[in-house]
Amino acid sequence: MPKPPSERELTGQDAATTTTPGREFLAGLYAALPIALGYLPIAFAFGVGARGVGLSVVEAFGLSLIIYSGGAQFLALALIGAGAPLLVQIFTLVAMGLRHLLYGPALLRGAGGDAARRHAWAWAWGLTDEVFGAALGRLARGGRFSEAFMFGLGLGAYAAWVSGTVAGAVAGSEALQGWPSFAAGLGFMLPALFLALLLSILSRAQLPVLAVAGAATVVVTLLWSGTAGLLAGMIAGAVAGVLQGTLLARKGDNAA
Amino acid sequence: MRPEILIMALVVGLANWCFRALPLRARLHELPPDSPLARFLGATGPAAIGTLFVASVLPYARSADSPRAICLLAGVGAVIAAFAACRSVVVATLSGAVAYGVAFWLLSPVA
Repeated sequence: MPKPPSERELTGQDAATTTTPGREFLAGLYAALPIALGYLPIAFAFGVGARGVGLSVVEAFGLSLIIYSGGAQFLALALIGAGAPLLVQIFTLVAMGLRHLLYGPALLRGAGGDAARRHAWAWAWGLTDEVFGAALGRLARGGRFSEAFMFGLGLGAYAAWVSGTVAGAVAGSEALQGWPSFAAGLGFMLPALFLALLLSILSRAQLPVLAVAGAATVVVTLLWSGTAGLLAGMIAGAVAGVLQGTLLARKGDNAA
Repeated sequence: MRPEILIMALVVGLANWCFRALPLRARLHELPPDSPLARFLGATGPAAIGTLFVASVLPYARSADSPRAICLLAGVGAVIAAFAACRSVVVATLSGAVAYGVAFWLLSPVA
């Protein structure tokens, strides 16, 4: 019978002895514990919210199983509730996921150029904001990168997200009718999540992009509609980012 | 599952998988940082999140209801404080929701 992994192995502090895929997988599951504890109430809120906009338990479960992105899923509820057209829903939700493009390359940079990525097509599915943060944190603490660890980490978080959604959807929106303060807190989960995500990516260089996106969202929402405001904000912010980069490059060329 | 919900979930889920998995195979980290595509990709994510935050807060901010504005301030303050303390999106999100709920409960006679 294999020896169970030690605390140092599980936390990734003992890179020399954490070698077998089984131990690495267990270490990943262990690292997923705090993420799972955080995911459960948020996923529960999503399940409750999904029933609130008229989705069935199966539909709520399906969204968590297939999309697996908290921000996009909460936004999907808002768009479904507002009756947004399917194409607008898809465009907005896909744009929301673009931030994930940078996670894989950033992780590989931290892991070293020769890091194994044979099964990346599978474990990358679980590369959410928190999983990315936990994996990068392990590398920063001197832990080693392994695909088995990524599978354990991703699976633990994914299971918590999907099971929390089902629990919330089964409980249903009526479950909170006698708890208005709790319902109010859950209702604020979406703005809180977006603000936390915003803080996690905030840097001085991105301030112009954020300012343009925010201003365009407010103006177009007030003058036209919420859906148009979303599209205008994202497009205006992205264009501002491209222009900002071009101007800075030209300034650099002129200075040289 | 209704077809329109399934289609939306499948397209968005496929896009999410592509965003998470393909850069690992396509060596996107080797893309020149000053290329137009790199700039566009770099700006779209922050623009989307900034837009979504503003859009989600706008209904609260437009409300003339002062207790709701106090709840909003409590929630936003808690998210910022929790994120500054522990740099965790999950903890910050939960802190904001708890602070908003507690503020709502404290102000419930007038909220």
